[in-house]
Amino acid sequence: MSVIKYDICGQICPSTLLIALKEINDYSQQLMDGEVTLAFYTDNRDAVTTIPESAVNMGYKVNVTKKEKCYMIEISGGQK
Amino acid sequence: MDNSYTLIFLICLVLGLISGIIMHRSDFCIAGMFRDLFLLKRTVMLRMLLLLVAVSMLLFELLRQYGTALYPFPPTGSPSLATIIGGLFFGIGMVLAGGCVVGTLYKMGSGSFLSFISFVGIISGSLLYAEIHPWWAAFVKRTTIFKGSVTIPQIIGIDPGVPVFVMMAFASYLFFRWYKEGKWERPSHVSGYIQPWKTAVFLAFIGLVSYIAVGKPMGVTTGYTKLGAYVENFLFKSHLDGTALFKAMSLNYVHPLTNIRMQGGAGPSFDVISAIELPLIIGIILGSAFSSCLLKEFRLYFNVPYKQYISAFAGGFLMGIAARLSQGCNVAHLLGGLPILTGQSIFFLAGLFPGAWLGSRIFVNVVMKKGGQRS
Repeated sequence: MSVIKYDICGQICPSTLLIALKEINDYSQQLMDGEVTLAFYTDNRDAVTTIPESAVNMGYKVNVTKKEKCYMIEISGGQK
Repeated sequence: MDNSYTLIFLICLVLGLISGIIMHRSDFCIAGMFRDLFLLKRTVMLRMLLLLVAVSMLLFELLRQYGTALYPFPPTGSPSLATIIGGLFFGIGMVLAGGCVVGTLYKMGSGSFLSFISFVGIISGSLLYAEIHPWWAAFVKRTTIFKGSVTIPQIIGIDPGVPVFVMMAFASYLFFRWYKEGKWERPSHVSGYIQPWKTAVFLAFIGLVSYIAVGKPMGVTTGYTKLGAYVENFLFKSHLDGTALFKAMSLNYVHPLTNIRMQGGAGPSFDVISAIELPLIIGIILGSAFSSCLLKEFRLYFNVPYKQYISAFAGGFLMGIAARLSQGCNVAHLLGGLPILTGQSIFFLAGLFPGAWLGSRIFVNVVMKKGGQRS
């Protein structure tokens, strides 16, 4: 399984969420097939709430880890 | 007088510090509340704003009933249709900037460089407004309706307690329903998260303390204009001396508890605006920075798409002008005027909704056109 990383730190609200949603949609098939994991690095606290919220609603698994000065949100394997 | 202004300065600094901390912890972004309604069809945070307005409404009315408050508080005037235009531009600006005039402060404090750009934009916009102030003031005068009345109860001639009672009954029903549906708690993975409903209630009490201590709820945008005036005074003193806005005293009232006359304006001198709004600005920035450092989250990022720099400045610039066009920012109107049902704040809100919608469209179709970076 490959991990695609996105460094979206420092961006204006709500671009962080919009970028994440677009990438999740673009990779929806690969995510569901378990081929990729998307890892978003963000310092936007609101996005750390909204991205997992949206991804879970779309049926994906979400893992959030606090890194040095930012958060990593991993989106993987669909359950749909 | 100097001692009382020093005391006011310290009180407002503390209120700002507390606001900065709790807004950072909850990411209590008022711009986002309106934007998400149109962009994501999400109303979770707008509910928190409703709670904040409702609790403020109740507290302000209790204070009025107790007889220790100026009603309506300064500097609110009779409603002018021009305020709708101000609200519209403010709505566009806050979405493009990624935060309102207060959101910009707490985000800047937590290390957002783009919010610093918005901050510069707000000050620049305020200074541009100063150039058109005489013309706009005349327009406001021509479009003022219900002269002599400020609030809806005054306009229709009823006791202010009546609409507050009706709205409290309706809000209680709504809030209880949301409570039963579990809509107040918001799951979050961030460190030190404070549930936004708690911040909403806390901010309402901060507004109350401000109302008691300085005679009016919180506001910050004349403070922004004053900061700009200090810069202009340094660079172009002769031009500033001839600018009408900087000679005007936008605040001039007697504090009901102490009988001290409070006077101040946007000009570059230490007055009541310096004692109220500047410490709030400083406090919110420092409070948020403190909170962010405590969580080890403070860090500056500069490597963002150039369009976002333009968006942040343009949004801030629009907010700076619009806050003056509508004689108050979203904080003054939504957290101050709306709870006592001023016509001005209702007009501001009427402009803010379409403005936020328009701002969201511009953000998606122009700013986000090429997406972000991938590594």
